This record gives sequence, C-alpha cells and structure tokens, in this order.
Amino acid sequence: MSAGLMMGEPGAPALAPRPLRTFRDELALNLRAVYARLYVRIVGSLREPVWIVSDAIFPNLGMCAFVLLYRALGAPREYEALAVIGGILSTYWINVLWGMGAQLYWEKQQGQLQLYFVAPCSRMSILTGMALGGVLMTTLRSLAGIAIGFLVFRIQLAPFHPGTLLVVFVVTMLALYALGMTFSSLFLLYGREAWHVSNALQEPVYFISGLYFPIRTLGPLAAVAAGLVPLTLGVDALRQVLLGEGARGFLPVAAETAILAGFAAAFLVLARVALTHLEALSKREGRLTQRWQ
Amino acid sequence: MSAAIARLRTAAWLGWQVESNWADPFVFVVYSVSRPLAMAFILTGMYWAVRGTAVHEHAFLGFYVANAFHNFVTTVLVGMGWIVVEEREEYETLKYVYASPVGIFTYLLGRSSVKLALATISTLLTLAVGWFALGLRWDWSATRWAPLALALPLGLLACVFLGFLIAGWGLLLPRAAMAVNEGVALALYLLCGVIFPIDLLPRAIAVFSFALPFTYWYEALRRFLLGSGSSALLGAWSDATLLAALALSTLVFVLVSRWGYFALEREARRRGRLDQTTLF
Repeated sequence: MSAGLMMGEPGAPALAPRPLRTFRDELALNLRAVYARLYVRIVGSLREPVWIVSDAIFPNLGMCAFVLLYRALGAPREYEALAVIGGILSTYWINVLWGMGAQLYWEKQQGQLQLYFVAPCSRMSILTGMALGGVLMTTLRSLAGIAIGFLVFRIQLAPFHPGTLLVVFVVTMLALYALGMTFSSLFLLYGREAWHVSNALQEPVYFISGLYFPIRTLGPLAAVAAGLVPLTLGVDALRQVLLGEGARGFLPVAAETAILAGFAAAFLVLARVALTHLEALSKREGRLTQRWQ
Repeated sequence: MSAAIARLRTAAWLGWQVESNWADPFVFVVYSVSRPLAMAFILTGMYWAVRGTAVHEHAFLGFYVANAFHNFVTTVLVGMGWIVVEEREEYETLKYVYASPVGIFTYLLGRSSVKLALATISTLLTLAVGWFALGLRWDWSATRWAPLALALPLGLLACVFLGFLIAGWGLLLPRAAMAVNEGVALALYLLCGVIFPIDLLPRAIAVFSFALPFTYWYEALRRFLLGSGSSALLGAWSDATLLAALALSTLVFVLVSRWGYFALEREARRRGRLDQTTLF
C-alpha cells in the first residue's frame, strides 16, 4: 500500500480482482469435503471399539428376541427370515437417526458446528460424506446380523438376482440417508428436542415400517405407513427380492423401487432447502452455537 | 429422617424438571408413551401376521403382558444409567450434584422415583391399549392377587437396585456408558424371556437367565395375573418355589448392587472420572 493511502482511495493501487472459482474447482472442493467427512466417519468409528461392538451386536439382540417370539408362537419358518432381514435393516435406521439426524446436534454440543459453517464447501457435501461413511460402516456392522441369521437361526433365502438386490438396496439407502440429511437440518434449530425426537422415532418407525412383520398385515394402514417413511418400502422390497413369495410383499418390487427413487429425490431437495432456511433461522435466533438448550 | 425425605423430594422434583421441561405437558406425555406403545404394536403386528397359521398363538397374551411390565426395566433400570450420562456429559452438572448436600445416591433414588411413575403410566397404558383396542384380555378369576402383590414389588425393587449398579458402572466408564445402557436394556429383553419362554434359549445362555430376578418376575407376573406361565422349565416349579427364587435373587441383587455402586463410585472418583466429559 502506498504511504498514507488506503485501498480504494483515489490514487491507491486497484484491488486485484478475486479469481472466480470455476465449476471444476467447486466440484473438486466439494468432493474433497465429501471424502474428508467420510474419512472422519470411518476412522472415528474404527477408533471407538465400544461403538463397533454396540452397533454390531445390540440391534441383533432385539432381532433375536423377535425371531424367538415367532418360534414360541409356532409360526412358519419364513417369518423368522423376515424378522432377521428387518433386524439387519434396523441398524441402518439407527444410523440415519443418530449418525445423520442427530449428528449436527452432537457437533453443536462439541462446539465444532461453527467450523462447518465457515468452511468454503457446501453443507450438502459434508452431509453426503457423513451419509456415505454411515452406509459403509453400517454395512460392515450388519455382517454380524447376517452371520446370526444364517449360522444361528439357519434362515433360508429364495433364489435371487444380485443385480436386483444391489439396485433395491442402493435406492433404499439413498432414500433413507436423504431423509437423514433432512433430519439433520431440522435438528440444527433444536437442542435437547433433537435427542428426544431421535429417541421417539425408533420403535414407532419400526412399527410403521413393518420391520418385524409383513407390512400388509396392517391392512389400509400399510399404505399410509409406506407414504410416511421410506424404510417401509425399502424393507418390503428387499424382503421380496431375498425371500420371494415368503415375504408376503405389499407392492411389486419395481413399483416400490420407483417410489423409493422419488423419495430420495424429494428428500434431497427438501434437505437442501431446509438446511439453507434453518441455518439462517438458527443464526437469526442465536441458536446455531448454543449449548445446553 | 425428615431431612432425608426432604432431600429425596428435592431430587425427585429436580428429576421431574429435567425429564419434562423441554416440552409442553402434552408433547411430553406423547413422547413418554410413544416408545412403549410402539413396542406393543410391533408385537401385536407380529401376532396378527401369524394368527391362524401359528401353532401356539394362545401364548401371545403372556408375552404381551410381560412386555408391558418390561417398561419398568427400560425406564427405571436403564434410565438410572442415563441419568449419569446426562448429568456428566450433557449438562456437566454431575460434579455439583456430587458435592451438594443431597448427595449422588439420594439424587439417583429421587430421580428413579420419577422414572418409576413414568414407567407405571406406560405399563398401565400398554395393558389398557391391549385390553380395549387390541382385544388382549384375560380372565380375572384366574388372577391370584396375594402372590401377585408379593411378586410385583420384588421386581420393582430389583429394577431400582440394579439401576444403581448400572449407574455406578456408568460413572466408571464415561465414554462407554451410553453403549452399556443400551446393551443392558436389550440383553435383559433377550435373557429374561420377556417375549418368549427361556426354554428356547441355548443352555449356555439360559444359565445367565436363571441368575436374573427378572426371569422369575416375568414368569410370576404371567402365572399370577393370567393364570399360567410360559416356560415349561419354570412351569414345573411350585408357586412358593418361584416366589422364593424371585425373592432370593432380588435380595442378592439388592446387596450386590448397593455394595457394587459404592465400590464403583469410589473407583470412579479415584480415577478422576466423575467429571470427565467425553461425548459432547
């Protein structure tokens, strides 16, 4: 700066134009953010042996109890397989609630939420990294449930096409984790309520998703349930792929997959809108960095 | 004595505020009963799914009733473990409670009384929904009131005292306390034969079931409230034997838990864990 002259004053040197980030730069930045958050999720999870055990084993204890209930009632064997698949998928729902929905609440409590908001990347890329890491780690942990299902309860699957299974699984996860992203934006605004909402969304969602029984048992309520939570259709479609007729499916797999894809798109848009809106609202109300609410 | 009651009342009042002041009363009631009711609906959904094809569907009522009473275990026993997590990790107030004249043991007891009240409401509501909405009814003439009146408080006593042990464990294991709480709730659901007879468990696991008072409690509740239990193994026991097993195992748990709680608390203090925050 010239002596005695401030930037912008007559005679002062012109400000160098700020280089604009190209689309390619933006993409690279956001992909790095996705990778960074995914890395943290995976490495963080692996560094916490207690959580590995609790996430891999505990949901399966409930699943075992439900399988034994069917056995105690003398139900046909295919119901046990049905409960095992539901139990395995419950681990994903728990991850969506606590690992996605409540995550920004944890970050707020730890005092690092503000770091996300000063970072130059999109918040959606952070949430995407979180979701990818969550799916990966939960899939690894669900191996325990699969092992219990096959080795302890000796469940039998119908012949299935791995490609179909993969497509249905990916679409289900997209819909579920997009819902998780929406939750996390909602929880930005709240304190203790976030914790309680996550708590309250466990068993009630297990029920309306028919995690442990065929959803069509609920009759007309099944359609309402299918319209509320993507887990309902995801569980039903995956069961139909793996168990065939024994799944007592609600809608054809193709229809359920298409609806799930619609859910995924809708929740992604909703998450983006909600994140922007609620971030502004939280800032305005001074709640973004508030702890002990 | 009056000072002790005043402290207990203060702890219970504070517990009520902590439990409920985040929402208006209606939302709080809905929140409090949503999980237990949903659990009852899941079981009923499973029952409806196999009705007509299941061989032993008549056994379902006993499982439903035991599941309703399991609210005491999840709310009181596991809830006491959660008190430690909340106070230490979330609100960072455990050190103040510890240093206050109320003392942490009395505080936990006071807060457990609030949880006991909430669990009672959830249990009664679950039974009422079963009776009126789901058609899960029993013949009251088969109910044996005297042994039921003996069995019920014994199970509640076991819930509160095992809760102290879980809370003590939580004091010692700051980072793992949440996992311990969740794990205990689910392990007890499986080990005590809440929704199936323990006869179905592998022998190596059933050994643990026989060490737990809740196994006898659920069987006693089914036997004395509905007229019949669900386990063939315990079914061979007389009423007196079943009650004696429940009383003895409860006594052992009360003594072990009381001793264990103070031992764990001392150890947590020695290791500097009483105000160690690790989660938030």
